[in-house]
Amino acid sequence: MILIWQLLRKHISIFELAIFFVANLIGMTVILAGVQLYSDLKPMLSGEQALIGSDYLVITHPVKRVGINATSFSSEDIADLVNQEFVESVGAFSASKFEVDGSIVFNGRRLSTMLFFESVPDEFLDVESRGWKFDANSSIIPIIIPRNYLNLYNFGFSATQQLPQITEDMIKSVSLDIRLLGNGMAGEFVGRIVGFSNRINTILVPEEFMVWANAYYGGVESVEPTRLILKVGNPSDPALMAYLADQNYEIENQPSESSKALFILKVCVAIIICIGVLFTVLSLIILTLSIYLLLQKNITKLENLVLIGYPPARVAVPYNLIALVLNLTILAVSLVIIFLSQDLYMAQLSEIAGYEISSSPMVAILVGIAFTALIITFNFFIINRKIRSISRKR
Amino acid sequence: MNEIKLHYVVPEIFAQREGLSSDIWRSDIVFERGKSYLIKAVSGTGKSSLCSYMYGQRGDYRGDILFDGENISSFTTNRWCDVRQREISILFQDLKLFGELTALQNVEIKNNITNTKSLAEIVSLFEELGIVDKLHARADHMSFGQQQRVALIRALCQPYDFILLDEPISHLDDCNSDIMRDIVVREAKQRGAGIIATSIGKHMNIDYDICLSL
Repeated sequence: MILIWQLLRKHISIFELAIFFVANLIGMTVILAGVQLYSDLKPMLSGEQALIGSDYLVITHPVKRVGINATSFSSEDIADLVNQEFVESVGAFSASKFEVDGSIVFNGRRLSTMLFFESVPDEFLDVESRGWKFDANSSIIPIIIPRNYLNLYNFGFSATQQLPQITEDMIKSVSLDIRLLGNGMAGEFVGRIVGFSNRINTILVPEEFMVWANAYYGGVESVEPTRLILKVGNPSDPALMAYLADQNYEIENQPSESSKALFILKVCVAIIICIGVLFTVLSLIILTLSIYLLLQKNITKLENLVLIGYPPARVAVPYNLIALVLNLTILAVSLVIIFLSQDLYMAQLSEIAGYEISSSPMVAILVGIAFTALIITFNFFIINRKIRSISRKR
Repeated sequence: MNEIKLHYVVPEIFAQREGLSSDIWRSDIVFERGKSYLIKAVSGTGKSSLCSYMYGQRGDYRGDILFDGENISSFTTNRWCDVRQREISILFQDLKLFGELTALQNVEIKNNITNTKSLAEIVSLFEELGIVDKLHARADHMSFGQQQRVALIRALCQPYDFILLDEPISHLDDCNSDIMRDIVVREAKQRGAGIIATSIGKHMNIDYDICLSL
């Protein structure tokens, strides 16, 4: 093998290999930095630790004029939504088809108002409460109100009216007198607020109660919903946005800033990875050309080696070794660069997030190994193919 | 391998030529193991081409070449590697030595894949052929006659059933030709191998079993 090396090392151009080394190092580092940065930033913008997570969208038809608009969703509309890839599940809002009067004695005064109820399937709720169930034999109606109603009262209304601020627990202990009217019947109920929702901006009652009450006081078996709640993987998905725009649906709760940021991050990472891949492809072309050139310069020697009985695979060994050593060195140097830069930016990110963000360079290592294996396989393939073509009789 | 059969073989370039007068082209010829053959020819009649065809180096011929009944046109690269390591050895007319390697390295590069001879045996062949002082000289610094002898030693560093010698003594004096002949005959006898030598006039003085004109 030493003799073969001695014979074939002539014509190896350090300059060509250096260009390949630098180009591929840049390509590999950019790719690995892209995937590592994405994997490090993703937990900050989505998932449990997300700054704000919003995977639910509420959609409606637009109200275009004063009066009654055709704003309900047909079962076909819903079926079409369910079939979309980016929609995980769809829940319908059911509105009350009867009159609701609510009153409360508060601070010695009776406050009375007309109300409405809506319901959604339980899986779309962000509130867990033991009291959230409807018993037909009981006169209690569990209610969930938006948390911002309480905030409006505490920070807006109470101050101007010289009324005391109230806590969530206090509200939960208060009973509301609820009167339901319709279909020629009337009923007295007790309303209890069992939770506060950040996600759904309406006065919610259990879906089971709504079905019963709409049948009993509204005289209707089923109604087409006018609002839908969607559970989606990525609320900023351009395909989702395009679909909703195409169907002329309006989004009540726009995706949060973090969802947009996550989307922008994905786009940036995709661009970075594309640039990295471009560099790598270009460097591969350089390597391929320099290997071809090198083989071409040594073609007589290669032919003679094969003619004295050397198997092409054995003749290819020195070239395979060059490719192997070069690529493994590139991977190692690239990973060292990633480790060092990761230390730098993770410290800064933890500072911004206000908590320690754990990160592991595993993603870069795995992607790096996979990519290097791919490049080495490609190198081996072109080297061996070229040498086989030389050894085939002419 | 016990026989090499040529069945109506003719180089592509001669395919259209009428009245080709040859013992080999467009004939049925069998080279048998253990026998010695001299192929005499004048320049340009395709003697090196014949060696190239039988060695799998070129395929620009019509007809069939069969090794023990097996057509060599179906041989894969790996099969040719086996043939060149174990069944057929060759002394090329243009030698095909590596100029930047020394004489000894040129022999070792072959011996390394066949492990046929010890270093002592190789050195003793150098001595016998009178070029032991050139062991460590670069091949491209040696005369053609000296290179011919190095190429012969390289050709002997493998097992074989046939040895092809393409004008082996073209640049040797009579004394060195006789030494080379003795070695070739001795080594062939040890292996029970056949000798196929070509010549354009000056040929190795062997008691050939069959002489053919190309």
